[in-house]
Amino acid sequence: MTAKEAAGGGAGEPRLLRLLDALTQISNVIGTLLILGLVVLITTDVAGRNLFGAPISGVPEMVSLSIVAIVFLQAPQALKAGRMTRSDGVIDILHARFPSIARMLETAYDLTGIAVLSAILYAHWPMMVRSWVRDDFVGAVGDFTAPTWPIKAMLTTGSILLALQFGARIVRRALK
Amino acid sequence: MTSFDIGLITLGVMALLVLLGMLVPIALIACSFVGVWAIKGSPLLASKMLGLAANDAISSYFFGVVPLFVLMGFVVSESGMGRDAFDVANAAFRRIKGGLGIGTIAANTIFAAITGISIASAAVFTKIAVPELRRHGYTARFSVGLVAGSSVLGMLIPPSLLLILYGLLTEQSIGDLFVAGIGPGLLLAVLFGIGTIAMATFAPRFVGETLSQNDDAMTAAELLAKGLPITALITLVLGGIYGGFFTPVEAGAIGTVGALLIGGVKRTLSMRSLWRVLVETGLVTASVCFLIIAAQMYSRMLAFSGLPGSFGTLVTNAELGLIALVSLYCLVVILSGMILDSSSIMLILVPLMLPVLQPMGVDLIWFGIVTVIAIEIGLLTPPFGISVYVIKSTLDDATITLSDIFIGAAPFAAMMLICLATVIAFPALTTFML
Repeated sequence: MTAKEAAGGGAGEPRLLRLLDALTQISNVIGTLLILGLVVLITTDVAGRNLFGAPISGVPEMVSLSIVAIVFLQAPQALKAGRMTRSDGVIDILHARFPSIARMLETAYDLTGIAVLSAILYAHWPMMVRSWVRDDFVGAVGDFTAPTWPIKAMLTTGSILLALQFGARIVRRALK
Repeated sequence: MTSFDIGLITLGVMALLVLLGMLVPIALIACSFVGVWAIKGSPLLASKMLGLAANDAISSYFFGVVPLFVLMGFVVSESGMGRDAFDVANAAFRRIKGGLGIGTIAANTIFAAITGISIASAAVFTKIAVPELRRHGYTARFSVGLVAGSSVLGMLIPPSLLLILYGLLTEQSIGDLFVAGIGPGLLLAVLFGIGTIAMATFAPRFVGETLSQNDDAMTAAELLAKGLPITALITLVLGGIYGGFFTPVEAGAIGTVGALLIGGVKRTLSMRSLWRVLVETGLVTASVCFLIIAAQMYSRMLAFSGLPGSFGTLVTNAELGLIALVSLYCLVVILSGMILDSSSIMLILVPLMLPVLQPMGVDLIWFGIVTVIAIEIGLLTPPFGISVYVIKSTLDDATITLSDIFIGAAPFAAMMLICLATVIAFPALTTFML
């Protein structure tokens, strides 16, 4: 993906696209703060354990939960910024020589993205509802427990935003 | 159609889609979905597989290592410790012919011990070393090739993001992998050093006709001031892991805090650059981990198809022998390096090879090191190589073309090939410290 495409957006865009980008940005900031939180949490735990013999309970659980949240909250921004992994050799040549074919391919790719995310969401939704209804948690009772539904909800939010960002790519291509 | 056929077709379609520029994770997920659907005959089951993998694939304490080490790498790059490593190394080697070249390699070796991503090394040393090398008479091609070549050390000398990924993928100890990477990493650094002296002596037109000495001698106090912070950070991170004070996951957080403190004392880190680095870390983490999730779906699909098993039988019947098999594998890895980035290659090829290797009793630690070296060779060879692109974009100099960088890096790719062959021939290189 080119830098120009990555920088897409701006004032002249439909309001819905700008709203989507704002939401993507917010979700990205939350993910970034979670990484910062991990650093603080782990450092405090290591220092507490080695220096004062007072570890924090539940750190492994919190790390394993937040890593999922970090990834899904930041994936939409990673897509928008052109940071998702792709092999751009052939498609760049196509863009230069046969732009209309390249655009068609890109749209097909974006539709595939929306399709697989819909499949993931379709299977994930009942899992999220169940974890909410049953109050599922990780950890050990009496020591440390954390509910799993917030993470499952963040996975849902991230996947929806990601699917919408794929849609936004199609719209932006059509508007150009 | 048997599941084996379906698996094979899916693999072929996936390779085609990736080549044609579909996002790698999306290609992996889509093909896994269609593959499982075709094998099990149920789209419902296929989407369940995706949903479960999205939830479980990275939901483990150990995956915390990814953002933490990436963040540590970026903070270290921002903190100006690359410059210090470069100055110290040059003070040590300034009297040798090609000394500045050796100094660059040595600085990269030191820097590699505090970062785990070769793009960080490539970016930092393009800024620091290339202007200095050219000022002292080295050719543009050699200067950029040297930086591209030696940035690879970042992935081999612990800590290393690729070794971490490999450990997560194959359930091998990350600590053991780190130790195993030291021997081959140092071997490669020495090979690079010998190669640089040899080229400076026998191929002066390639390296530079009139190399001047770096004559800014350093006082002991300067040396100490520049050398101490890096040494302290390396000791903190690696010493902490092997001294049993914290796990490799925690080492990422501790190293980040250590680098932050050093950067704070040196006044090289501003709040603004810190936030930029944090956001950058998030984007790298998201793209790497999203790829891992996709790769999990893909390896579950592979398991359903029974492809690796049949592939294993095929290999056994062909009576290839381990060396031939691994050489063939390395060839495929190096060729993949021409179209894919390092994590994708590892996440796609290793799950395919693992079931083949396990019954043969192969040491998976050794295999991990072999994989990493082969992947990094692929990254230095045209037409695509991520390190080379990073250098090109950091350089921002139109007179140095991409092909200049590739030509300059070619001798280093050749030396890596020697290193790879040595590691394959003498597995003890990776295991002697375990």
